This record gives sequence, structure tokens and C-alpha cells, in this order.
Amino acid sequence: MPIAKPKKKKAKKEVIEVDSPEEKSAEEGLELEGLSSRRESESREPLTPEAPPSPPQKKKKKKKAQALELEGDQAKVANGEGAEQQGEGEEITRRTKRRKKPRAVEMHFHNELTVEEEELSNDHAPIQQRSLFSAPTGPAFPMGKVFVERNSEHTLATSRLRVDLQLDEFMEVRTMWSTRDVAMRVHSGFRVIGLFSHGFLAGYAVWNIIVVYMLAGEQLTTLPNLLQQYHPLAYPAQSLLYLLITISTISAFDRVNLAKASMALRGLLTMDPAALASVLYFAALILTLSQQMTSDRIHLYPTANETLWPPGSEQQLLRPWVVVNLVVALLVGLAWMFISTRPDMDYTEEFLMAMEVEDYRHDEKLDIPT
Amino acid sequence: MLQPNNYSVVLLIQLSLLTFDLFVNSFSELLRTSPVIQLVLFIFQDISLLFNLFIFLLMLFNTYVFQVGLMALLLERFRVLILLSVLYLLFSVCLHSWMMNLRWMRADHFVWTDGLLALYVFQRTAAVLYYYYYKRTAEYLGDPRLYKDSLWLREAFARTRQL
Repeated sequence: MPIAKPKKKKAKKEVIEVDSPEEKSAEEGLELEGLSSRRESESREPLTPEAPPSPPQKKKKKKKAQALELEGDQAKVANGEGAEQQGEGEEITRRTKRRKKPRAVEMHFHNELTVEEEELSNDHAPIQQRSLFSAPTGPAFPMGKVFVERNSEHTLATSRLRVDLQLDEFMEVRTMWSTRDVAMRVHSGFRVIGLFSHGFLAGYAVWNIIVVYMLAGEQLTTLPNLLQQYHPLAYPAQSLLYLLITISTISAFDRVNLAKASMALRGLLTMDPAALASVLYFAALILTLSQQMTSDRIHLYPTANETLWPPGSEQQLLRPWVVVNLVVALLVGLAWMFISTRPDMDYTEEFLMAMEVEDYRHDEKLDIPT
Repeated sequence: MLQPNNYSVVLLIQLSLLTFDLFVNSFSELLRTSPVIQLVLFIFQDISLLFNLFIFLLMLFNTYVFQVGLMALLLERFRVLILLSVLYLLFSVCLHSWMMNLRWMRADHFVWTDGLLALYVFQRTAAVLYYYYYKRTAEYLGDPRLYKDSLWLREAFARTRQL
């Protein structure tokens, strides 16, 4: 679509043309302005004693008013209102002016169209098809006709409608989402889930170890009681523990942006809370998984009593399991505390927000990519 | 250019498949009373893994970077996820096959050995890493720069042509 010169420049040009008639375009502009002014003067009644000032200044004022019209319709309305309020004695002339104005405006409008046509380039070279990786090389000046509305007789309703339309467009722009916004939203949603998981896991792990120690008795002397009471809970507890540790570990990895290994390592060396929490959660994950066999053995206590649990083997099998569960509870509790000290820290979110801002530089020394 | 609505749908499918995978990993052992149920769950889990991999590859093919011909750039950028996906799929298939083989005739028996436990630990640990990298990659594929021409892409293209 051809691009026209902005009207401000045109208004200035016209003013300049009035001031410096030596230029060619100025001469043409003068001619056209003279024509328009002659037409306007023909359309008007004879000037009253309270007539407006000399025509060139009046034209300048008119041009300036037209330039202002481009910026806002309210300005046009104000100018129109201001013009209407000039002197009560000009009622008759005003009425006639109002009647004549549409014609004058139309003629002026037509003249302005022709002016604009001349402003356009005569070079009708076809727009070059640019290759995929070349900058556009089309001409900088407009190639076709451009129609600009200069009717100064806008009603208040029309101007309001325009303002409403502009507001609607602005709101549409505001509410339009990009794919980056969707990704950010998903990431924020998962962070909320992760935050809940951190706290729930810490509480659940503490509850679990308290139950185990209460059932096992003092110095782990009543382990058969633990097996008898705890065997229905062993496998579900193990499953829930794995689920919560997985979600918490992923959330901690997100906070530290593990994919950027250099950043993660730097965070670990500087005792960054998120990095420490990631390490603690990962360690807790490995320890929990290593106890899967013992948990299954506890789960099968009623059905395979003799084969899986020979007499006297409870201490040997259950003591490591209890200690590991205690360590897991401590690890996840500590990790939760570290996360709580800086809950708003999220390096992956910063990375996602910078997706369109920074240049996508391809470095030789790539960190671990996504 | 990838539209936000389309991207939302794809992201939803990907995250749903990940969630399903996580829940099967967590709670499939509780459903082992009937081996058929566990077998069906394992099959669905492996199929969802493959689906996730296909969806990721389709998203890659949809990028402007790929359409221009810079597939090596994309593979290098996303190589960790591709390797993890393949590794996790391999671990999952091996573990599921071994476990079903052990539990098919004796559903509620103790079948654990040291080797099975080691494979179980590797598979579950790989799952966590796979979830993290897949989620991050899915979010990263929402970068608008991957779907339009830009300066860095032209530089990469010029570099590739020189090579």
C-alpha cells in the first residue's frame, strides 16, 4: 500500500511555500492556494467591517488549523467552536459562511486532492519482489493516490465515534495475546502448583516420619507393630512421595534454570537458595526411589510373612528404611525453607520474558540447550 | 506464524500427556492386582511418550527456522530433549517389559531384584529430567522469533552457507 507524506509536513510545506515562492513546488502551491482562495472568496459574502484579517494570514491560520485536525478531532471541534464564537455581528455572514463552507470545503478538498496527487511520485516502477533475506528496496515516496479526509464539518458524534473506535483498537491491541504470553502464563501456573507442592511435600514427609517413629516405638523396639499398622500405607505413601518430589524437583529446576548449566553451577557455588533446593530435592528423589523394594516388602507383609520377613530380620530390613525416610523428610523440609526465603526468584521466567527482547545469539560455547 | 490459539491447544495436549505419564509412573504400582490393567497402562504410557515426541518434532517442523533449512541449528538447540526422550522411552519400554514378564503369572508377588531396582531408579530419574526439559522446550517453542525472519536467523543462514 503506498504511503503518503504526513499532513503535518504538508501543512508546513504549504506555509513554507507561501513564504518562499521561488521554489517550483511553492509556485504550484501558490497557484493552487490562489485558486482555492479565489474560490473561497467567490463563495463568501462581501466582507463586513469586522472581517477577519488579511487572506495570507487567514490562509496560514487555516492551514495550521488543518494541520491540527490531523492530531485530533477535538482540536477541530475547538477551532470550529472558536471560529464560531468570533463576534456576534457576523451571524449573517456566519450563516452564509456555513452554507458556503461545504462547497468551499469540497472545492478545497478537491484542490487538496490534486495537490496530493502531485505530491505523489510519477515513477511507476513496479515494486520489486524482494528475496527472502534482503531488506526492502522499494521507493521511499508514495506510489499511488492517497485520499485524506479534511472535512472540518465533523459533528461531535462523529468525533466521539472515532475516539471510541480508537479506544476499541487500543483495547484489542492490549488484549491480543502472543505465544510468548501463553508460555509465560503456563509457566506461572506451574509455579503456583510447584509452590503448593513444596509445602505439601514438606508437611507430608514430616507427618510420615512422625507416624513411623510412633509406630516403631522407642529405639525401634516395636517394629512388628510398625509392620502390622503401616503395611496398607506403605505403597500409597511411596507413590504419593514420588509424585510430590517429582513436581517439587521440576519446580526447583525451573527456578534455577537448570538448562543453563553455567548459571545453575554459579548459583550452587554462590549458595543460591534455589540451586541448593534443587540439589536437595534431587537427592531426596534418589533416596526415595532406592526404598521402593523395601516398601514393596512392607506392603506384602501380611501375605508373604515367612518368606519376606524371616524372624529377626525386621531390624536389619527396617532400620535403613526408617533412617532414609528421616533423611528424606529433613531434605525436603530444608529445601522448602530455602525456597521460602526467596519465593519470587525464577530465572526461567526471566529467560522466557527476554525471548523477544534480546537477540537470539548463537554462541559457540553453548550452555546445555533446551 | 504460529497463532496463540493453536499454540495453546498444542501446549495443552503436550502437558496433558506429560501429566498422564507422571500419574502412571506414580500410581501404576497400586494397580498391579490385575496384570492386564498394568499392561494397558504401560502401553498407553509408551504411546503417549511417542506422541509427545511426534508433537515436539511437528512443532519444530512448523518453525520458520526449519522451513529455511537450518535444521542443524534446531537439532543442536534441542538435542538434550531429543536424547532424553529417546533414553526415557528406552528405559520405560525395558522396565515395563521386564516388570510385566515377572508379574504376569504372579501379580501380587515380590519380584524385585537389584537389577530391576537399578533400572527402576534410572527410569524414574530420567522421567523427572524428561518432564523438566520437555516442559521448558514446550514453553520455549512459543518464542515468536522462531516463526519469523530476523537478523540472527540471517546471520545463522549466512554462516551455514559459508560452511
